[in-house]
Amino acid sequence: MITRVEVVARPGPGGRTVLPVLRGSGQLAVRRTGPTSVHLVATAFGPLGGDDAEISLVVEEGAHLTVHTVAAAVALPARQGEAPSVQRVRATVAGSLVLAPEPTVAAAGAHHRAELLAELAGSATLTATEQVLLGRAGEEPGRWTGTTRVERDGRPLLHTTVALGPGAPGWLPPVAPRAYAATVSIGSTLPVATGQDAVRLPLDGGWSATAWGPELHRVVRALESLGGVDEEVA
Amino acid sequence: MTAALLTLADSRLPAGGHTHSGGIEQAIAAGHVTDPGSLATFLLRRLRTAGAVAAGLAAAACGADDLAALDAEADARTPSPALRAASRQQGRGLVRVGRRAWPSPAWDALPPAPHHPVALGVAAAAGGLTARDAAAAAAYLSISGPATAAQRLLAMDPLTVAAVTARLSPEVDAVAERSTSRARGSPDELPADTDPLLDLLAEVHTARKDRFFAS
Repeated sequence: MITRVEVVARPGPGGRTVLPVLRGSGQLAVRRTGPTSVHLVATAFGPLGGDDAEISLVVEEGAHLTVHTVAAAVALPARQGEAPSVQRVRATVAGSLVLAPEPTVAAAGAHHRAELLAELAGSATLTATEQVLLGRAGEEPGRWTGTTRVERDGRPLLHTTVALGPGAPGWLPPVAPRAYAATVSIGSTLPVATGQDAVRLPLDGGWSATAWGPELHRVVRALESLGGVDEEVA
Repeated sequence: MTAALLTLADSRLPAGGHTHSGGIEQAIAAGHVTDPGSLATFLLRRLRTAGAVAAGLAAAACGADDLAALDAEADARTPSPALRAASRQQGRGLVRVGRRAWPSPAWDALPPAPHHPVALGVAAAAGGLTARDAAAAAAYLSISGPATAAQRLLAMDPLTVAAVTARLSPEVDAVAERSTSRARGSPDELPADTDPLLDLLAEVHTARKDRFFAS
């Protein structure tokens, strides 16, 4: 199934943010749920292998946008073949964007690819979080591959691909976690911090933090205990 | 291929690589690497992530015009300050010996302390090698230095460690091949495979006072 979402956030009268474009089709509907927030609502189960979703977000200078989802997404295998499900987020930001979706669960046999390409203007701020769990309870882990590229004024600040699950390049026991969480934040700087299976790294004008382990709630807590995550996403 | 490739990948080339363990020293301290089996696993995950990224950058830098753009792509793929420093230190070391070994105007187009894979691509071009050769050298170097470091730190049997490295040859070739083909597009399409474990090990390692290796 093809899914397309488009949101444009623009500064309106009195410093408010208006959303002149708010469109969803395919598996995702989009609802405005606050002065600067929208929720993506899944209208079908999945994604299934072979599904293709593109979410286009434009946040103009002076505008604020926070994107939530209403529930965890459970990526399921293709009915036939091994095609991954794909979700691309293309964000063009001159204002302020927060991406705070619920977790993605990669069910046994599924392969989900998540891409975030964020093109920022010099004054833009961005916070994007990601929470991943491989396999539902009592199930073999699925696969998840996440690519994040953040550019500011055309210059790359961060470009990483993390691949998890059986067959992924760096996912080799004994360090083969079922749960993973990451945040990238541009707009305020933080220094290096390390924890048990968690690390925060400074970027030019921002930071990125990653944590992994056997259980998602512990991983999320490990990420938060590095600092910076709570206040940015709340 | 020419003998220049053998020179470029030779651990005796005095480019300073021998002072770096590629995360092995901290992987041993953390208990991830204890024996030949766990060493092979660690080298494989390093090869397929950091090695693939280095191979892509080296292939792209071989004969490239805009080396500063590739250096920025290397930065974006190396967010760990400790790993950035290690890469730039080794890049500077390679430029120093490469300029003498293979004089070429291409060296002047490099930033002062370039990322190692970018310098490696320039060295390959200056030595008359291909992008695929540059990728092969980068992929091989991503495991050969760390393997030697493990041998020294764990007092492992050199024959065993040589065998571990040699058995990874098909994987080295596969990584070099894939990364070279990805390097034919625009720089944002270069491999970006990341292992957050390597970032964590590098940052914990650099804070230590009692380390043998620089990284």
